[in-house]
Amino acid sequence: MTESLSGDSPRPGDGRGVGLVVVSHSRMLARSAVALASEMLHGRALRIEVAAGLDDTTFGTDAVAIMEAIERADGPEGVVVLMDLGSAVLSTELALDLLQDPSIRDRVTLSPAPLVEGLIVAAVAAAGGASRAEVAAEARDALMGKSGHLSPPLEGGQAEAGTVDAEEIVGVFSVQNPHGLHARPAARLVSEVRGLDASVQLRNLTTGGPAVSAGSLSRVATLAALRGHEVEVRASGPQAQEAVEHLLTLAARRFDETAEEAAEPVATGPARSVGGPLPASPGIAIGPVRRLSAVPVDLDQGPRGEPAAEWRRIVEAVAAVRRDIEHVRVVTAREVGTEQASIFDAHLSLLSDAEMLADVKARTSSGISAVSAWAGCLADVEREWASLPDPYLRERAVDVHAVGDQVLRALTGEPARQMTSSGVLVAGDLTPAETAGLDLSLVTGVVLAFGSPTSHAAILARARDIPVVVAAGPEVLSIAEGSTVLLDGSTGELHVDPDSHLLAEYERRSADAGEQRARQLALAGEPATSLDGTSVVVAANLGSVADARAAVAAGADGAGLVRTEFLFLDRSSAPGVEEQHDEYVAIAETMAGRRITLRTLDVGGDKPLSYLPMPREANPFLGQRGIRLSLEHRDLLRDQMAAICRTAREFPTSVMIPMVSTPGEMVEARQVLLEAAGPAGLPEALHIGTMIEVPSAALKIEAFLPYVDFVSIGTNDLTQYTLAAERGNGAVTALFDALDPGVLQLIDHVCRAARGRIDVAVCGEAASDELAIPVLVGLGVRELSVSPSAVPRVKAAVRELDVARCAALAREALTMAGADDVRKLVLAMLSGAGA
Amino acid sequence: MDENVTTAVLEQWVRRFAHLVAENRDYLTELDAAIGDADHGSNMDRGMRAAVAALDASPPETCGALFSKVGMTLVSTVGGASGPLFGTLFLRIGSTLGDDANAAPLEVAAALRAGLGGVVDRGKAGPGDKTMYDALAPAVEALDEALAAGTDLAAGLKQARDAAAAGRDATTPMLARKGRASYLGERSVGHQDPGATTVALLLEAATEAPF
Repeated sequence: MTESLSGDSPRPGDGRGVGLVVVSHSRMLARSAVALASEMLHGRALRIEVAAGLDDTTFGTDAVAIMEAIERADGPEGVVVLMDLGSAVLSTELALDLLQDPSIRDRVTLSPAPLVEGLIVAAVAAAGGASRAEVAAEARDALMGKSGHLSPPLEGGQAEAGTVDAEEIVGVFSVQNPHGLHARPAARLVSEVRGLDASVQLRNLTTGGPAVSAGSLSRVATLAALRGHEVEVRASGPQAQEAVEHLLTLAARRFDETAEEAAEPVATGPARSVGGPLPASPGIAIGPVRRLSAVPVDLDQGPRGEPAAEWRRIVEAVAAVRRDIEHVRVVTAREVGTEQASIFDAHLSLLSDAEMLADVKARTSSGISAVSAWAGCLADVEREWASLPDPYLRERAVDVHAVGDQVLRALTGEPARQMTSSGVLVAGDLTPAETAGLDLSLVTGVVLAFGSPTSHAAILARARDIPVVVAAGPEVLSIAEGSTVLLDGSTGELHVDPDSHLLAEYERRSADAGEQRARQLALAGEPATSLDGTSVVVAANLGSVADARAAVAAGADGAGLVRTEFLFLDRSSAPGVEEQHDEYVAIAETMAGRRITLRTLDVGGDKPLSYLPMPREANPFLGQRGIRLSLEHRDLLRDQMAAICRTAREFPTSVMIPMVSTPGEMVEARQVLLEAAGPAGLPEALHIGTMIEVPSAALKIEAFLPYVDFVSIGTNDLTQYTLAAERGNGAVTALFDALDPGVLQLIDHVCRAARGRIDVAVCGEAASDELAIPVLVGLGVRELSVSPSAVPRVKAAVRELDVARCAALAREALTMAGADDVRKLVLAMLSGAGA
Repeated sequence: MDENVTTAVLEQWVRRFAHLVAENRDYLTELDAAIGDADHGSNMDRGMRAAVAALDASPPETCGALFSKVGMTLVSTVGGASGPLFGTLFLRIGSTLGDDANAAPLEVAAALRAGLGGVVDRGKAGPGDKTMYDALAPAVEALDEALAAGTDLAAGLKQARDAAAAGRDATTPMLARKGRASYLGERSVGHQDPGATTVALLLEAATEAPF
């Protein structure tokens, strides 16, 4: 398994000089590399031993063979070992442990050099009588020749921006961004520079400061480049030309900063309404401003390991935070918009800031713990930013702090940010997880600088009855903690430091709302019957047994939508029939005899499951999701159907198929259901239905009727697909409205076909929208499924309706141009009725 | 305290492991195909067959000799990174058990812990790296805890087996940070780690041996 190259050139050693060992997965590769190196020796003696492959053709490394090769190559001057990768390195380290004579170990150097290049220069050096340290150093630098060759000096001279010498391209741009080169434009600049093979330096000519690396966000910030400042760009390297041209163009485009981002920061004042907030979750909130804060990290905690181990902890923590931020960035881009998501680019840029990381590494090398090294470096960078002359740039120190703190928490395992005392939470944005985790005993309301009324955060807040206004602008982030704010989540009104008059009015409105809620709750258990005697089922949308309890307490007539995803997310294998059945039964038992409608698994590329391979899709909302995915994984669907059938034999149960676009899918789903039902056949009481979310399904409703007992209109997706407006995208928020007459036409079409034949329910957000309810009931919808907390309010709304008038109203709505017109129409009717 | 286990019982454990590796060879290779170079099953099978052949050729008399022989055979015959890693595991177990024909339950646990230490020294992997460590470390922990609570060795090994299986399952959502799988980055997520799977088989084999 090992071989000496005795006989061939190079000749076997005579006991002098450093010996070499070549370790590779491939014996052929190792032999050829040795042959190549031998050509350089011109007959000089050298010991080279090969330990490569398990045999002539099987790839692999053998620690025993390596050990033997080292023993043979060993001499008074010792051995340098060159390896390819992976197991070659592990096996060689093991070989050192296996050496019978441990004194040999002290004479062996394992070289990190690339195998072929390293072997050739090591062979030349060793044959020339170099010491082991010299041979190892030569090998380590073996790539210098090649990398030097591949980075030739520039041809130079043609740069429009001007050329100083043959190697450097120089240009100058003037900063046009209103707030100068602050974090986001700087992050854009840094990320562009990093994408190019060029070394780029920037200097603020206006202030005359020193040149800094354009690849370092923390350095670029120290330029303190304000609007109108001239910045010099000097680039060298293969893409120097592109780098300079690109940066000048980018600067002219203001680094793609949008007007909104560049909006003047507004000073806070007494009782002034901040411009632009949007209503996102109804209710009045009054209270002191609170922020998410975190338990301070104990900087002295944790044992201090070797510098290498401490550095490794940093690298891992940074990698973990990077993954988290990338995840949040993706979610934000999808649900809120790419513009808002770009704030995270600055954070990501900081995490790969070479100068900052080098500083941290230097600190760990001097024996400081990972936590202290990171905290120390972070404090320095923050201080540097906070001392910048421009107030807007100074505020960007919060970005540094936010991301730095996240890394510290990853290092120490301290929990993430949370609210610690009661009041109105003011934040940039909240992740769905953060919204879901808000402590209802502390949060009276939420004000978000960014976000949209249709984001998951807003939906979750509505489900939890937390008043929210969103898109209030970044200036709300600088409202002093403790200042009193008033907000009305139904209108989007927001007041900072209100006068006593305004405060009193809000307190009265809040009390009125509380009383109204109490009245509604008192009647919630009663059926919702309109003024003219039409009953409307008001059911609840559930995602857990806890939701079911809340639904019963709120008087829900049933569960109109059970999102079964909760059973499938965040686990490494799918739940079995037994487990699903247990969960469905738990919900059914909690619902105490009321019908539950179980929707089969509704996931797609945006919610990947580890055990369900899904292709990466450019547009998961138009891809394989819902029933499309389930039919690709029939075993999974069959298990779920089996659990649903078992539940249906014990409790009133319906099954509902999501994302159906053709009757064929319903036929297939029914087949799977029939197989899953087993010899007993379909349970008698099981109702089978489809969701209507895709416009084609609404339009072809007649063709569906033979296969369904009911339909439930998912107005969120139906609206999204009808108006081609992504629901979470803030830029198209205005388009996304289920009261658009286009969407109403589809609902009308479904209701007309269904009348007297099957039931029509609505389970989207529109079902709890008080302006949509009269229209939906007027069109013929007889079941509204809403979040548990909305049940009393929706029932109360139904009781105020005259269905005959609603029908006339709906007819008129169908002829209108836009959702705004419909809303005005409904408002007029409701205020008329109330008068 | 329990009775000591004999070299013969430990040998049955090793042989049972070889059997399970052979049975699962294609499955292990398939797992490796998703995130590595598709040789883990065939490499481990080749190594364990060679180890069994070596045991057949000269039956070891001491616990240390048994595991050292298996370890040395693996480092020479597996070829991939599993060679030095599983080789080190067995070698450290062997050197910890030493030249005795019997081993006390606590010695078996100590040897397994020493083996884990060897794997860490060799592969420099830690928790969550999506490696054999993620199955081995919980198994070692479970065995120590079980024995400390007065459980006998056979029952303790069952708990270790369950811990290894849970650890193996937990590797699926992890992002690989070691070995070739780490080149795949995010694409390594969603695949079970083959090394952790083999460790689970090792503990499975232990529960099938007559401890």
